[in-house]
Amino acid sequence: MNKFEKYVLDILDDPVSLGAVVVGMIIILGMVIFASSYWFYFRLMFLNLRRNIIRTALTSVASIVLVFVVTLVWTILWFLNLVTSEKAKDFKAIVTERWQIPSQMPYAYEASLAEGSPANEGDYKIDKNKDAMTWQFYGATIDPEKKTRDNIIFFFCMEPMKMTKMMDGMEEYSATQIADLEKLCDEMVKDKRKIIVGKERLEAINKKIGERIKLTSLNFKGIDLEVEIIGSFPEGRYNQSAILNRDYLNDSMDAYNRQNPNSRHPMTNKSLNLVWIRVPDKEVFQKVENQITSSASFTTPAVKVETASSGISTFLDAYRDLLWGLRFILAPFILATMALIIAVAISISVRERRKEIAVMKVLGFTPAQVLFLVLGEAIMIGAFSGLFSSFGTTMFINNVVGGIKFPIAFFPVFLIPLDAIWWGPAIGIGTALAGSFLPSLSACRVKVSEVFARIS
Amino acid sequence: MDLYSTLAVSLISVVLLTILLALVGKVPINYSIRNLIVRWPISLMTALAFTMVIGVLIVMLAFVNGMYKLTESSGHPENVIILSDGATDEIFSNLGYRDVSEVEFNPGVVRDASGKPLASWETYVIVNQPIPIHVRKGERKRRFVQVRGILDPEISGKVHHIALKSGSWFSTGDTGGGVREVMLTEAEKEPRKINATEAVLGQGIAKEIGPDYNKPILEVGDVFNMGDKYWVVAGIMDSGGSTFDSEIWAKWKTVAERFGKETYTTLVISTTNQQTASATAIDLVKNFKKAALQAIVETEYYDKLNNTNKQFLIAILFVAAVVAIGGVFGIMNTMFAAISQRSKDIGVLRIIGFAPWQILVSFFLEAIILSFFGGILGCIVGSFADGFTASSIMSSGAGGGKNILLRLTVDMKLIFSGILFAVAMGMVGGLLPAFSAMRIKPLDSLR
Amino acid sequence: MDEVISVRVESLTKSFNRGSEKIEVLEELTLNVVSGEFLALMGPSGSGKTTLLNIIAGLDIPSSGSVTVGKNIISSMSETKLASWRTRHVGFVFQFYHLLPVLTAYENVELPLLLLPMTKAQRKIQVMNVLDLVGLTSRIKHLPGQLSGGQQQRVGIARAIVTDPDLIVADEPTGDLDSKSADEILELMTILQKTLGKTIIMVTHDPRAASKAQRILHLEKGKLVKDSRNFSYVSGNVAN
Repeated sequence: MNKFEKYVLDILDDPVSLGAVVVGMIIILGMVIFASSYWFYFRLMFLNLRRNIIRTALTSVASIVLVFVVTLVWTILWFLNLVTSEKAKDFKAIVTERWQIPSQMPYAYEASLAEGSPANEGDYKIDKNKDAMTWQFYGATIDPEKKTRDNIIFFFCMEPMKMTKMMDGMEEYSATQIADLEKLCDEMVKDKRKIIVGKERLEAINKKIGERIKLTSLNFKGIDLEVEIIGSFPEGRYNQSAILNRDYLNDSMDAYNRQNPNSRHPMTNKSLNLVWIRVPDKEVFQKVENQITSSASFTTPAVKVETASSGISTFLDAYRDLLWGLRFILAPFILATMALIIAVAISISVRERRKEIAVMKVLGFTPAQVLFLVLGEAIMIGAFSGLFSSFGTTMFINNVVGGIKFPIAFFPVFLIPLDAIWWGPAIGIGTALAGSFLPSLSACRVKVSEVFARIS
Repeated sequence: MDLYSTLAVSLISVVLLTILLALVGKVPINYSIRNLIVRWPISLMTALAFTMVIGVLIVMLAFVNGMYKLTESSGHPENVIILSDGATDEIFSNLGYRDVSEVEFNPGVVRDASGKPLASWETYVIVNQPIPIHVRKGERKRRFVQVRGILDPEISGKVHHIALKSGSWFSTGDTGGGVREVMLTEAEKEPRKINATEAVLGQGIAKEIGPDYNKPILEVGDVFNMGDKYWVVAGIMDSGGSTFDSEIWAKWKTVAERFGKETYTTLVISTTNQQTASATAIDLVKNFKKAALQAIVETEYYDKLNNTNKQFLIAILFVAAVVAIGGVFGIMNTMFAAISQRSKDIGVLRIIGFAPWQILVSFFLEAIILSFFGGILGCIVGSFADGFTASSIMSSGAGGGKNILLRLTVDMKLIFSGILFAVAMGMVGGLLPAFSAMRIKPLDSLR
Repeated sequence: MDEVISVRVESLTKSFNRGSEKIEVLEELTLNVVSGEFLALMGPSGSGKTTLLNIIAGLDIPSSGSVTVGKNIISSMSETKLASWRTRHVGFVFQFYHLLPVLTAYENVELPLLLLPMTKAQRKIQVMNVLDLVGLTSRIKHLPGQLSGGQQQRVGIARAIVTDPDLIVADEPTGDLDSKSADEILELMTILQKTLGKTIIMVTHDPRAASKAQRILHLEKGKLVKDSRNFSYVSGNVAN
């Protein structure tokens, strides 16, 4: 299934998107019908815009860059809104330490947590091979002498095969990219020393695929590993990430503890950071939550179960005012700027064309028709610049830049959703209407007698 | 030269340049101003576009400025912060007391009147606290609370220059210290006597938790629940403007036991001055053999945490640069229209004897005046952000980070930057039209 | 009385290229204007009279030939030099006045003086002098839009003479005025010539306006066809 098919299916699934598409279609259809019966108006608007190419171009470019910024801002807000809204079906629950972060649980919790801790007859049991995944965070440097940000790698330790099945953002990759990743995962299963490192991180540590590196751990003191880089993630949100087979870490811990039976490694009971489990619906979630929190096996430390959206919301709380500012200050101010710039352009052109408007009125144009003509010009600029900008922005940012690189919480990069292509024309038309309202009103109020009195 | 004087000098140079241009240009400045007034709707809208751009820029910069101010007042140059080697954040640090206890006897460490070394032993944990249903917003069901277990609050207060605004420090006695018997009144339950752990709160966190108990802010004597335990507010710290504003301090032993972190995360020592501090830091890193440490002068440590600010700053500059294109093109439209409308004026001026460059200067100045007023207005609008508190995060970029409450700060530095930025937009947007004005042929324009 | 030549035009040719066609506007024109003379240029439209006027005033450049005004060979001056020369030596009067609409009568007149090294006080004396001469001292704070056509043209004339130029060029100065205002303007021009000794070159196709001139030149198709003394011209000071 390619991206587009998936997008279409997503739209069909979601009543709001479906509604938006239907309304959009109706508007386009309306415009086409209107254009075919009132072609003259469109021609006139177009000719007027063409008359002062510089002004039209300046206004368009200004609109294009402003829509560009708004698209970036809205993408971040849209994505964060998406990941923090509760889903009803087939969603992830996160099991972590109850009272503090970073969550550090004994690895011994894994076996039971991954199954949802079923204890009694009738309890829900999660298929741990399909619907559960463990996270262990292993940070290491490749240069123990000089620990700088550029030689540190931060690994997610997991069962390699869970990567494509459980991790977020996999839907952003194409089928071939997923297949390639799965091949790499197979290799990682066969040889636990093999790792995958994101492109940007590879660049930062100045290593290439195929190289073997020695890791000196920062958080697992003394658990130093030797690994071989076998591949990278496709361009996107995992550019800074790295994946290690969890067996390698856990086996090394065991070996350390066997060698030092009297001073076990301080991380021994703290090496499991998160467990993700996938549940089919809210009812099962409630049930599993009860199973886990009421279990006597998880007391030191106690654990909690929360939906992914709720967990992310907690992390995003630190950013709440920043996001509020993006949503209610930055974006509106930019929209206002855009409306003002369109208003300036339209005011100027109305001012220059007072005589023409008077002539049109003499010829029998009604004020409403004049109003429509002026509004139409503004909307034409707004809609086309908006569409051009949002389409261009989406293509450019997603395919060339590789997403918006503005790290918030654990989201290093944001891809613009295909929905954004609709935002541009919507913003364009909205701001054009707001900006041209007053000038077009003044245009339709042009008094024939006054204009001609001034000329003669 | 620091940023402040650079900005001031730049602004003064721009003003001088403008005056100079007006003087040599000879076209009366009144001519420009009155023309702006005559077509006031267009001038006003153009200026307002500038106001929007500058206004939003000032607000965004006020945020970053607030973060810088916060880090500045959190760290003290004579303090050295000690974390375990390799810990990218306090939260990942582990200092065994036996391993590092000798640090406080380092000759650089200052002692108080009673001869105790000014060394603050701390265990920093981040606690997950459920939010009661009535104050929840959206999907967020928990908040992170930054808790610091403190061995000796008086010493720590001295080290961090923090005094109490009200109440007292928690008691630290071995038996029964740090605990107080209080009456607990909970909804739908009989009031009962319980033992609550004493805690001292920063004002920010007191304000944050207050609404949980239907109060604007927690006060001395109030009881709250955290980590499945009752805590009583013993005191409120006068911590405004530092990272400690968002922290809860309590007896070290209680925190360590409750949250299972039996080692220290942080040791902060006070020395006499900055030189001693950096010498001590170097000495500890090199010569302290019992454990691998990182010792950093506190101001440098907080400076590292400014990484987030730098990221924000880059994002803001990017946004400002892109949005500026909008402003620039807006003023270009206005100026091109002004020129085409006044081509006759230009013709007359040229015939009278004004040189083409003087015409250029006149229209260039008109654009500058317009942008200047738009910019000033933007600074005024942006200034309303001053004093608002906002939450943010502060991190060195290598994991971890602190949740902070900062105060949006608009100072002269920002105002100067705002005006300069506006005038720069005006100059860029005004130059091209001014050139086109200069090229107008006097005879053609009067025909 | 010694006749000082104020404007000397020698074998002046001006041509334009319109497409592939070369249009000769002025052909081998030679002409002298004596200092203090009031000259009217007449001719049908397209005869080249305005072009001649513009070249003499340094607004247009000849294709060949030379133009000397006073001691300056203006046909070989750079544009920048011409601009500052114009300020001091030529005053312009236009058919449509061409005052700057946002400036008051006073400020419009003051405009050329801003280019000269003068203090504000010096400028004020000069501006008030010429406004007094044209009889507009009571209107100094009015904007052009608040003045009648005749008054605007008087401001135009005041602006033309405020730098005390030797030469005044006027292109249809009465073309946009009613006959009463036109008479007043022509009266004023005559005063300029007779009492202040200005050289005036005026383009007009109004015979009544031409009748005030000392000498009338007729141009047709870029050539001087008639150069005549005006016998109705009354020499000496204007009788008040």
